[in-house]
Amino acid sequence: MKEDYVVCRCEEITLQEIKSAIKQGAITLDEIKKYTRAGMGLCQGRICSTIIIEILKEHGYLPQYSAPPHSRIPVRPVKIWEYIGEDQDV
Amino acid sequence: MDKGIKYDGYLSEKELAGAPGVPSIDQLNVKPLAVIECIEPIPCNPCERACPFSAITIGDSIWNLPVLDANKCKGCGACIPSCPGLAIFVVDMNYSSTSALVKIPYEYFPLPKEGMEVDCLNRKGEAVTKGRIHSVKTTATFDKTYIIGIEVNKKFAMEVRNIRM
Amino acid sequence: MRKVNLVVVGAGPAGLSASIEAAKHGVKALVLDENHKPGGQLFKQIHKFFGSEQQMAGTRGYEIGTKLLNLAKEYGVEIKLNNRVIGIDDHNTLAIIDNHKYSEIRAKKIILCCGATEKPLAFPGWTLPGVMGAGAAQTLVNIHRVVPGEKIIMVGSGNVGLIVTYHLLQAGVKVKAIIDASHKITGYGVHAAKIKRAGIPIILRYTVNRAMGTNQVEKVELIQVDKSFNKIPCTQISFDVDTICLAVGLSPSTELARMIGCKLYYHPKLGGYIPMVNQYMQTTIEDIYAAGDMTGIEEASIAMEEGRLAGLACAISLGYISDNAQSQKALENIRSNLSQLRMGNGKGGIING
Ligand SMILES: Cc1cc2nc3c(=O)[nH]c(=O)nc-3n(C[C@H](O)[C@H](O)[C@H](O)COP(=O)(O)OP(=O)(O)OC[C@H]3O[C@@H](n4cnc5c(N)ncnc54)[C@H](O)[C@@H]3O)c2cc1C
Ligand code: SF4
Ligand code: SF4
Repeated sequence: MKEDYVVCRCEEITLQEIKSAIKQGAITLDEIKKYTRAGMGLCQGRICSTIIIEILKEHGYLPQYSAPPHSRIPVRPVKIWEYIGEDQDV
Repeated sequence: MDKGIKYDGYLSEKELAGAPGVPSIDQLNVKPLAVIECIEPIPCNPCERACPFSAITIGDSIWNLPVLDANKCKGCGACIPSCPGLAIFVVDMNYSSTSALVKIPYEYFPLPKEGMEVDCLNRKGEAVTKGRIHSVKTTATFDKTYIIGIEVNKKFAMEVRNIRM
Repeated sequence: MRKVNLVVVGAGPAGLSASIEAAKHGVKALVLDENHKPGGQLFKQIHKFFGSEQQMAGTRGYEIGTKLLNLAKEYGVEIKLNNRVIGIDDHNTLAIIDNHKYSEIRAKKIILCCGATEKPLAFPGWTLPGVMGAGAAQTLVNIHRVVPGEKIIMVGSGNVGLIVTYHLLQAGVKVKAIIDASHKITGYGVHAAKIKRAGIPIILRYTVNRAMGTNQVEKVELIQVDKSFNKIPCTQISFDVDTICLAVGLSPSTELARMIGCKLYYHPKLGGYIPMVNQYMQTTIEDIYAAGDMTGIEEASIAMEEGRLAGLACAISLGYISDNAQSQKALENIRSNLSQLRMGNGKGGIING
């Protein structure tokens, strides 16, 4: 049995899923994000990107030669009622 | 073999002997002196300013090691609480005919009480002897660090660096 | 929409120093921070800091924070807390959740001082309750005054690992050991000595193999590693612990810089991807500056000097002081403080954690 555990906690993406994405040709943080959703959750990759960088390194893809991931608004989790300006208890 | 502070977490005999802030046993036999166990270049220099007798020199680059001038040092202990590394001690070898007084910086609660008998720990955290608490002091300028004076057998003066109650 | 000359994101040592320096020269700075308390990392630090007199060395971290805050007040800096900056667009408009309400502010210049995030370490069982960042453990003991567990193992012998271990010991928690995959203690020797003389084992060349437990961490299994950090089979040892603290480094919080398109590069020693900055702490985008841990993980002393540099550079470019020999000299002074602190090594002199 191959060792497996969750890498991206927000989207529950496992080590084996990341590895198979790399096999399929996703070799940057952005590509892995689009392929697996790792880094697309609440924390926006603040936790898992470090781990994915390490996994990519093990496969010979060094972060020095690839761009950092894109970042989009909102960079922090925001509740919908905060966005649209309604009161919490509505 | 002890490999040194960056491997074991405590100073080896060799590092102690080579430290510019650690006086020799001959010097310590004459009068109470500061023992500055700081041997790694780090960007730090508050001890230099803390000494009212200009006995500690770091110089222009804050990466220099503190150098103790044993002639100027009066063993007053003013430098002890200034050191963020808690690396300065004062040793009075001739506290009595058989005992030495070791002053250490201390930042744990509960505090020991004067007169109490405690386990005395070496740099590795091993209990090596028993000692008696001689003094427990702090002032506003110590900024919550305490200086604990421990009376120990002379033999252990250069070993004891912590206590356990 | 509110319009201001200067917005500083982050009220840590870098952001506070930047706003103070700018305010000294007449720029009314607005500082935004998502926390309910200002000071960034400083208010968790109950130990005395290194550095030189100028950066208040020998003073406890939280007291440095208090001093910076008082200075900021004195110079009329406006600090807004509970203000999450969630985005920036290319017209320098910041999208903010201000105490649960969305709002926007436009600034002529922006200084990003967002600090850093703790790096995780993944191993089987790392998602069990009881595995946490050392910074989280530190927040629990020093801010909330709650102990994170009864029996702890600290992973990482850098300054963060050593200092947080010391704080845990001060709080009366039993720390079973500090471990590190490196063959050497990576933090300062004096910090290690404090831990060692309290009798805490420092185990080098070991990493976490897995965490075990049903509903939470009950045991940690360690494994020896060789020089290239490969696990050596059959070298497992284990400890009964309920908490595994990870102090394996920090990574710069660059999400806002990335969003507006600042160029970043990868610098492993400084914690990962960091924005490129010039000698004014200006990023590759004219109106955006960056300072502190987010431009590379170093120390509070360095974060403060970088902040001052960015604050002064903004005051000059906003026209509050003329760009003459005198102001260039002031910039040069800060740069020389910085190179003193880094021993002339440029970024990379000192590394935390
Ligand atoms: C355990 C430990 C011990 C340390 N000991 C020392 C020491 O002895 N000496 C020393 O010099 N240094 C020490 N440091 C390092 C020092 O604390 C940091 O280098 C310094 O705090 C970095 O300052 P900063 O202003 O860049 O970031 P921070 O202090 O991290 O502040 C960043 C601020 O930005 C805010 N922020 C981030 N993103 C947003 C956003 N999108 N919206 C709104 N607000 C945001 C955060 O809430 C935070 O308040 C230590 C660090 C740790 C963790
Ligand atoms: S013990 Fe007193 S005299 Fe000696 S170095 Fe320290 S402060 Fe100076
Ligand atoms: S204050 Fe302490 S850690 Fe700093 S240089 Fe002096 S002896 Fe060394």
